[in-house]
Amino acid sequence: MIVFDQVNKYYGDFHVLKNINLTINKGEVVVVIGPSGSGKSTLLRCINRLETISEGSLSVNGLNVADKKTDINKLRRNIGMVFQHFHLYPHKTVLENIMLAPKKVLGQTDAEAKKIAQKYLEKVGIADKANSFPSQLSGGQQQRVAIARGLAMGPEIMLFDEPTSALDPEMIGEVLDVMKALAHEGMTMVVVTHEMGFAREVADRIVFMDEGKVLEEAIPAEFYANPREERARLFLSRILNH
Amino acid sequence: MLDFSILTENLDMYLVGFKNTIMSSLIALVASLILGVLVAIMRIAPLKPLNWLGTAYVEIIRNIPLLIITFFFFLGLKLSGIYAGTLALTIYTSSFIAEAIRAGILSVPKGQMEAARSSGLTYGQAMRLVILPQAVKIVIPPLGNQFINLVKNSSILAVVAGLDLMYHGDLISSRTFIVFDVYIFVAAFYLILTIPLSLGVGYLEKRLAKSN
Repeated sequence: MIVFDQVNKYYGDFHVLKNINLTINKGEVVVVIGPSGSGKSTLLRCINRLETISEGSLSVNGLNVADKKTDINKLRRNIGMVFQHFHLYPHKTVLENIMLAPKKVLGQTDAEAKKIAQKYLEKVGIADKANSFPSQLSGGQQQRVAIARGLAMGPEIMLFDEPTSALDPEMIGEVLDVMKALAHEGMTMVVVTHEMGFAREVADRIVFMDEGKVLEEAIPAEFYANPREERARLFLSRILNH
Repeated sequence: MLDFSILTENLDMYLVGFKNTIMSSLIALVASLILGVLVAIMRIAPLKPLNWLGTAYVEIIRNIPLLIITFFFFLGLKLSGIYAGTLALTIYTSSFIAEAIRAGILSVPKGQMEAARSSGLTYGQAMRLVILPQAVKIVIPPLGNQFINLVKNSSILAVVAGLDLMYHGDLISSRTFIVFDVYIFVAAFYLILTIPLSLGVGYLEKRLAKSN
């Protein structure tokens, strides 16, 4: 479904992504972990072309993401994205936040969009906040709205870029619960996170990155019990034993 | 003490000037706002030649005196005083407005555009539906300052016989040989325009802040 083939990316002289080969299948939950600056977020952001790749090829559902002829807006409809800092629209209510793209991009009527928005708000457990503004919500609630906003477009793929890193510790659970439910429903998910518990429990596959390279790919049980790469072993020992 | 007979005896002249100042300011305000938005969008649009053109416009116009721009239209292009002055005022103010609006758009966090684009909205839709509504709030106070400056700067018309308030003040002064009182009344007329403008901007600012 998502295929990276020999992908390289440079910011000027800086080589951010190095020879990435990665295939993510339909219905798979892939968790990308690794130290800061290892290129995890950049990798994720290439998938919906928030970042462009410099070399190689990247396709989503058989469409070449880098090709100028690819209708990027059409591709993006099918890929929901959740950001570390939520990025809800502060001038719109929760409901309006969720309804905007379905109305403007998919051409849904107000009534249709509202019905779908309410359905997803219930799903993420905050139907009662429909008419609040984002500033009136806690971080965890805002992030759940952001997830509902992504889901309302009916995407086949959801991207999560450190969705819990900006949250108070107490709020992390409620967001992870929503993500777990989503994973169990068979959503194709690519998740950049430092939440090892989530990765271990939910991921079909762990991708470990360092210095722009994918160093290791493994199922969670294998990865946590016996990481093959020294760098991965070091990373794990640092974050698990403190 | 102020001699109010100067005001009453020359009221018709004051009022003609006052009316022309309002006209000229109003036209320049609307025109410079439109021009300013266009130039601001030129400066940030993802198209290099447009960026360059917008930057050149702003940097040249805002860095030469308003008086010289006015002379350009009055002496260079031989327009009448009121046209030359209003046109110069429009162009001069638009460069400052463009900067204020550009700054407003840029101060909206980058993630807003990313969130909008990643949901499938086009650049234009994202700009119109997500970025600009947020930028407006930020831009209101600096825009208010520009409008107040514009009203005061309209006195440049007097230099090119633009029939405005200041011009009529000069006329009254040269006829009556009185300086102080005549211009105090001129100042009062300017305040009648600028104080409500100032209060209006303050009110708008408060109201918009509430919806945050």
